[in-house]
Amino acid sequence: MAKQMAFYFNASTCTGCKACQVACQDRNNLPVDVRWRRVYQYGGGSWTPHPNLLIANNIYVYSLSVACMHCENALCADVCPTAAITKRSDGVVLLDSTKCIGCRYCEWACPYGAPQFDEAAGVMTKCDFCQDLQAKGENPACVDACVMRCLDYGDLEELRAKYGDLSSIEPLPKASITHPALVLTPHKHAQPTGAGNGKLINLPEEV
Amino acid sequence: MSVREWALITFTILAQMSVGSFVILGILHFLAARKSSVEAADRLSDRALLAIGPVLILGMLASFAHLGNPLNAPRAVVNLGASWLSREIFFGVLFAILGGVFALMQWRKIATFQLRQVIAWIAALVGLVLVYSMAMVYMLETQPVWNTFATPVIFFSATILLGALAVGAALVANYAYVMRKDPSCAEAQCILLRDAVRWISIVSIVVMGVELVVIPLHLAYLANSAVPEAVTSAGLMFGQFGAVFALRLALVFIGAGLFALFLYRLALSPGQEKTLGNVVYGAFALVLVAEVMGRFLFYVTQVQVGL
Repeated sequence: MAKQMAFYFNASTCTGCKACQVACQDRNNLPVDVRWRRVYQYGGGSWTPHPNLLIANNIYVYSLSVACMHCENALCADVCPTAAITKRSDGVVLLDSTKCIGCRYCEWACPYGAPQFDEAAGVMTKCDFCQDLQAKGENPACVDACVMRCLDYGDLEELRAKYGDLSSIEPLPKASITHPALVLTPHKHAQPTGAGNGKLINLPEEV
Repeated sequence: MSVREWALITFTILAQMSVGSFVILGILHFLAARKSSVEAADRLSDRALLAIGPVLILGMLASFAHLGNPLNAPRAVVNLGASWLSREIFFGVLFAILGGVFALMQWRKIATFQLRQVIAWIAALVGLVLVYSMAMVYMLETQPVWNTFATPVIFFSATILLGALAVGAALVANYAYVMRKDPSCAEAQCILLRDAVRWISIVSIVVMGVELVVIPLHLAYLANSAVPEAVTSAGLMFGQFGAVFALRLALVFIGAGLFALFLYRLALSPGQEKTLGNVVYGAFALVLVAEVMGRFLFYVTQVQVGL
């Protein structure tokens, strides 16, 4: 099988601190509202009355750090009219902003919010897996910034062998749409994709 | 809604209206030529043909308003192999060129009638492929409100409905002009005009019927979908934008249904051309407003799957 670079994320240890998000924006010099990596907080549950008992709650919340999934079926690359988005031989999905017309069609196709519009430049931008750092043998900025060591990266098959093959929980879309190059360790309260019993509780300026 | 969405509403409506006008006008010309003569048919439709170009150009200019970086626009046809957006732009430009060439040849009577006919048929076919491409642009798995059979149906029904009534309005205006310029051919033109208007009203009523079936079915389909985003879209259509949705259906029913029925009756006998003209203008205006509202709803009810 061809090489496919992928991210690993451990939702069971993430504290939602957003160090990865900030490191990404810092490293890539992104404007405040252009976020190649975002940390989502997903929460739900309620108070449930038990007969003859106290009223208990099953309230939960967990965090999910999301960047470009460098999908095996990269819809963004398919739909881009200028072919500004390409999938490299190692599976990394790259966007050449100098070719972009800023039509934002990739934004409609991507279910992960990976292509981000740079309002000032009028073009789309996205995570390039810190290819310059990787070329020097260093880790992507987000991976090194994580204080809880929740993030890892490498070849998809190797990550799956190491961490399992889960690639979607709420609020991520079902994996069959784009086949994301992602391996997840779920949080203990993780809801399966499509369960729909929780919601995003981020403030608008966070994501 | 931002400038970006209004740019897309303007572009899709005007491009579809110009394709529809081109196709409908071609058919009307064919029927008129068979009934009387090619010259009489030309006199009926040539001026209307010239009005299509500016409509298409205006629509294409509007589409630039949704680009963040229009300087790269020539690159937009690079990904024809995979991107429906590339195909849409390609067929849009091809339709504009072929339609423009045909309009010029027809206006100046360049080359033979047969050759002009061949170019017109190719242009019409390319125009229909353009509308199909426009619909396919929206058939994304991540956009459940668009990713249904209703999208191509709504795009094609808008194409035919707007095309038919725009042509009706143009023919009526042309008739008034011909009457003033050259009253000698007025009687022959009057017969052709009334035939055309009858034909247009039948097409309008049929397509209006299709819309009134497909649009509520689409809403029902979304509301009962297993995809939560589809249900949210249905909720927007029914709730927050319910008034627009109802008004849109009502206007298309009045414009393409009641007005068209009235038109059909008016066009049966001569002597009522003035009323006929006003009703055609009214029907076109109502349907244009209805379709713009429909397209507004199309974009405003978008709810994306995922993050």
